[in-house]
Amino acid sequence: MRVTQSILSGNMLKNIHQNYQRLGKVQEQLSTGKKITRPSDDPVIAVKGMNYRTNLTEVEQYERNLGEVYNWLENSEDALEKSSDVLQRVRELVVQASNDTYDEKQRNSIAQEVSQLKEQLLSIANTKVGGKYIFNGTNTQEERITNGVIDSSKTGKAVMLEISKGINIQANVDPDKVFNDDLINTLTLLVTDLQDPNSNNQSFQDDLTKLDQTLDTFNDERSELGAKYNRIELVEYRLSEQVVNTKKMISDNEDIDYEKAILDLKIQESIHRAALDTGARIIQPSLVDFLR
Amino acid sequence: MRSTFHGLETARRGLATQQTALQTTGHNIANANTVGYSRQRVNFTQTEPYPAPSMNRPQIPGQLGTGVEASSIQRVREGYLDLQYRGENSKLGDWESRNQGLGRLEDLLNEPSEYGLSKTLDRFWQSLQDLANSPENNGARSSVRQRGLEVSNTFNYLTDSIKKFHTDTEAEEKAAIDTINYLASQINKLNEEIGNVEPHGYLPNDLYDQRDVLIDQLSKLTEVQITVEKSQGNSLAMAEGKYTIELAGVNGSKHKLVDGVDKTFNNPIDNTFQSNSGKLRGLSEAKVTYTDMLTDIQKISSDFVTSFNALHTQGKGLKDSSNTVPSGIEFFKIDANGRMDVTDSIKDSIDGLNNIAASNDGFPGDGTWAMSLSTSLSKPKSEYEKIIASLGVRAQEANRMVYNTDVLLQSVEKNRQSISGVSLDEEMTNMIQFQHAYNASARTITAVDEMLDRIINNMGIVGR
Repeated sequence: MRVTQSILSGNMLKNIHQNYQRLGKVQEQLSTGKKITRPSDDPVIAVKGMNYRTNLTEVEQYERNLGEVYNWLENSEDALEKSSDVLQRVRELVVQASNDTYDEKQRNSIAQEVSQLKEQLLSIANTKVGGKYIFNGTNTQEERITNGVIDSSKTGKAVMLEISKGINIQANVDPDKVFNDDLINTLTLLVTDLQDPNSNNQSFQDDLTKLDQTLDTFNDERSELGAKYNRIELVEYRLSEQVVNTKKMISDNEDIDYEKAILDLKIQESIHRAALDTGARIIQPSLVDFLR
Repeated sequence: MRSTFHGLETARRGLATQQTALQTTGHNIANANTVGYSRQRVNFTQTEPYPAPSMNRPQIPGQLGTGVEASSIQRVREGYLDLQYRGENSKLGDWESRNQGLGRLEDLLNEPSEYGLSKTLDRFWQSLQDLANSPENNGARSSVRQRGLEVSNTFNYLTDSIKKFHTDTEAEEKAAIDTINYLASQINKLNEEIGNVEPHGYLPNDLYDQRDVLIDQLSKLTEVQITVEKSQGNSLAMAEGKYTIELAGVNGSKHKLVDGVDKTFNNPIDNTFQSNSGKLRGLSEAKVTYTDMLTDIQKISSDFVTSFNALHTQGKGLKDSSNTVPSGIEFFKIDANGRMDVTDSIKDSIDGLNNIAASNDGFPGDGTWAMSLSTSLSKPKSEYEKIIASLGVRAQEANRMVYNTDVLLQSVEKNRQSISGVSLDEEMTNMIQFQHAYNASARTITAVDEMLDRIINNMGIVGR
């Protein structure tokens, strides 16, 4: 093959141009920290990257949703604990009053305290957290009990929150189980019995049984809340694992291996230097330099 | 008997021919860097020997050489390399334009990143989930409205940009067509000049070179087919003749652009010409890509709007100013031009936020419908991912084809340079060779001169 100056200088230019392209690629990788910057660099990595990003968004959102569930559970638990205390106090008072040594006057003053406690329970039923009545289901904008009466048409349904893809959990306490007509009736009956001058030890036994049943339902709900709490703690743990894993997958998928990239840079740099050096030597001399 | 002055004539011919060769060397060196220049060489031929065979020839021992002449000046070039070069050049032009089109789409869609449509849809999904958590909260509601607007704007931005790309490409196509017609008219002019020179027995080498450069340029824009029309008169066998230029269209059709026989160019192409290869073809492919992408994006947005609205109309909002629970309201709308937007009932400054249907049972604290709404985002997302994947694969192929055809083109160009390129070392060597021959011819004249001097001035003077 006949080789001329213009072939050599053309080759040299082409090679240097190619080296610059490779250097540019390594530079882009090192400065962005990413293996790819556009889908055509590697379509598989690109689409995987989009997918992982969506997964990460979802998992992070579910963590946020969990925070909301925690809010509901903790506030409900607080309120139920207070209610239990109140009911316990009512029970003590009733047991005290059921003693037939208590006269009418004493029972009347107990009746007064019990009716105060009843008011307290009703106000707990209307607990409002962050602008929501937490014991009225999905109807969070209206009170559970108005003027001591429950309007069943105003009772909302279960408040469901999504804590993982397709997994929903009920965040509220079923209002009909705790703050229901039974509770109000039992307490109203108690007050009536306490005020009744004909009441005796026997007439309070029935009330006590009913009271115990109510207390039991409160305690049942509290233990269910506790169980739910444990369950979502588990979900939370799993989600946080998932966040770490997804971030790692995104990184494995798209991030460059710095050691490799820097090594590539070094190799490219020396190739580039060599190309410049040989180029400079080759294009310099011609026969003209040696003719007299 | 031969002439006494025979040697002088032989040497004179030597002088003249070597001088011609030296001048051609000078021309080569001068054009070493001219684009498309092919090195030229002088074809040396021995002149007729003496004596010619005839009845009255002098009886001398043998035929005597009479020197040299420059029979022709020819350019050194291989026609089939031009053919290869132009074929690859057409392919390169084709793929470069396609690659450019796909690259612009990749830049526009900007995936994978934190700023593309994918992220926008994710953000809308997030806002719906937040709404599911606190459906009675106006902050969550207005965030859904804003993110919904963001989704609409992103879709509109994408479709507007793709339409813009399409218009840009049409303008580029028009420029390419103008260039093709301009090049053809130039080639036609050169055809005329070449047709005037060749019948006189000359080779218009520099005109050939100029014409080849123009055809190279033309071949990048569209596929060119050349038929040679030989010149009449005293034209040499080496003469390259006039070119008839035909452009290859789709389905084997041809468009005669320049007629080499009657040396005319009166049939310029317009935008109805569908090229088979070259930049023109690449641009029309890019337009198809844009149109397809636009259709795909618009299908995703309209499908999404339809399914989202179908769900949204079934959900229930918050009690509005007239104290009723709104239902049956659409969230998005698409107008006749394909522009997406949030409906006026959602944008409404008084009841807009209440109209967002987050609830299933009609109570304000129920967010299950917002949850259902959020699931309708998975379909557009997966459709969009398919688009990105296929775009990536196609752009990758185009990148590779541009690289491959470029490598082939470079290699053909190297072969062409190897044949036709000027080597300064070679020209220097030739120069010295011709110079020495010139000097030696001059010395022969001196020798003959001395011989003649002996005969004329110093003969027949015995004893003087």
